[in-house]
Amino acid sequence: MHDVVVLGVGQSEFGKFPERGIAEMGGAAARTAIADAGIDPGDLQAAFSSRVYEAMITSQTILKDLGVTGIEMVNVENACAGGSTAVRSLYKDIAAGYVDVGIAIGVESMTTSPVAGKLIPPDRYDLDGQMGLSMPVLFALQAKRLMETHGAKEEDFAQVSVKAHEFGALNPKAQYRKRFTVEEVLGSRMIADPITLLQCCPNTDGAAAVVLASADFARKYTEKPVRITGSSLISGDYDFKRADLTTMPLGVQAAAAAYEQAGIGPEDVDVVELHDAFATEELVHYEDLGLCPRGESVGLLRSGATSLGGRIPVNPSGGLLSLGHPLAASGVRIICELTDQLRGRAGDRQVPGARVGLAQMLGGAATGLDAGAASVHILTV
Amino acid sequence: MTTSTTSTPFREGLFREGPDGPALLAGRCTRCGRVSFPAPDMCLDCRGRELETVELGGEAELLCATTVHMPNRHFPPGHAVGFVVLPGGVRIFTQLRPVEDKPFRSGMPMELEIAPLWREDDADVLAYRFVPA
Repeated sequence: MHDVVVLGVGQSEFGKFPERGIAEMGGAAARTAIADAGIDPGDLQAAFSSRVYEAMITSQTILKDLGVTGIEMVNVENACAGGSTAVRSLYKDIAAGYVDVGIAIGVESMTTSPVAGKLIPPDRYDLDGQMGLSMPVLFALQAKRLMETHGAKEEDFAQVSVKAHEFGALNPKAQYRKRFTVEEVLGSRMIADPITLLQCCPNTDGAAAVVLASADFARKYTEKPVRITGSSLISGDYDFKRADLTTMPLGVQAAAAAYEQAGIGPEDVDVVELHDAFATEELVHYEDLGLCPRGESVGLLRSGATSLGGRIPVNPSGGLLSLGHPLAASGVRIICELTDQLRGRAGDRQVPGARVGLAQMLGGAATGLDAGAASVHILTV
Repeated sequence: MTTSTTSTPFREGLFREGPDGPALLAGRCTRCGRVSFPAPDMCLDCRGRELETVELGGEAELLCATTVHMPNRHFPPGHAVGFVVLPGGVRIFTQLRPVEDKPFRSGMPMELEIAPLWREDDADVLAYRFVPA
């Protein structure tokens, strides 16, 4: 296996841009990533892109405007973990030696998608989906269990959103750069009890891109490479295999695989980016990633360890809650954020001395499964 | 507009209505005993090929409930949903019908009812939901 590094990262503007096509948003992210890498677009040997809604030849549609043609281009989908899937797919091709350098892109136009302003449902024919299950409903019910089993309070869930927006206010790329109080979060419109509007990620249009390369290729371009030392992607397991809704075994499995490959444990991680589409789920991911012992996620949050200036900041970008969540872009965007953090160029939200970052994404729901897909990447300098 | 009184089950094989009340129908693996709802084509636990239909009855225990304040698929704002645990430990997602004086709480006994939950192609669609017992 070849060592693989993140050579360049790029993110488009995040916000509501129904007039912008995916070529425009994806192109902005890809151009930035290619320039950041210091390569010529013609150097790219492979492209993996992801989009959930109305996807068709996403890579080609974006890259033809950048002069990139006649290479292997693959387009993948894995719900919110689609971007992570694109990153991992490219990672594997470089690690295996098929190509030396390539680009992974995630892009989404949520405001023009069929789910704009709606609760995101599972597949049209999914049994639970027909019966009224949607993503916020699933996480609201999980939150109800956290209140029973973990002593979580509505104020704790609101605090996750307050924390995310404190970070987001420091990120010039965030869709919402506004701080909120716990009272404001709890006072916003109820979506699915206990999840209020300000505990839900917004509808976001945008794109992110990363240029990955073999360590050999990268040597010419950087003296301080950000290495991908762990990469995993795991599909959901049967719901009957878990005792309760407060853990997602696929997330535990994805974390374990990435930690093992990287040869580290959760105690070695300095900064985390994870799937906080709904504030409540962040507590579950703390435990599934091993950031704290099982049952102690509420205590970890309350201690401030995951907040700005804490021991292990979670979602310094502002997370999906504040930075925004163009579904397939997020899995790529978290790699961008961690790369900036490890390079020490994250500005006001910089985690001092960060050397190891963990990027987690979760995607999709289907009757009988704990979720659709979970992916974890570990980046190291 | 004419309103038809035709009603059709949401899906075949999910439930049956009998003189002794409604029951959900599940598949039980004849090899490992795993009970699954909805009944799968093969055992999801041991991959056994032989499943027999078993009735899960009409009683359950509430695990958790939420009220959804947005329209969602067939359901208007203000509908309640949750997870209930059926005999044998089968956990399912379901619509819930609130009853005055019996607020939802974890562990409370629930009862199955088959009711028209939405309309499709000019017909009532019959599906399952649970009500505080």
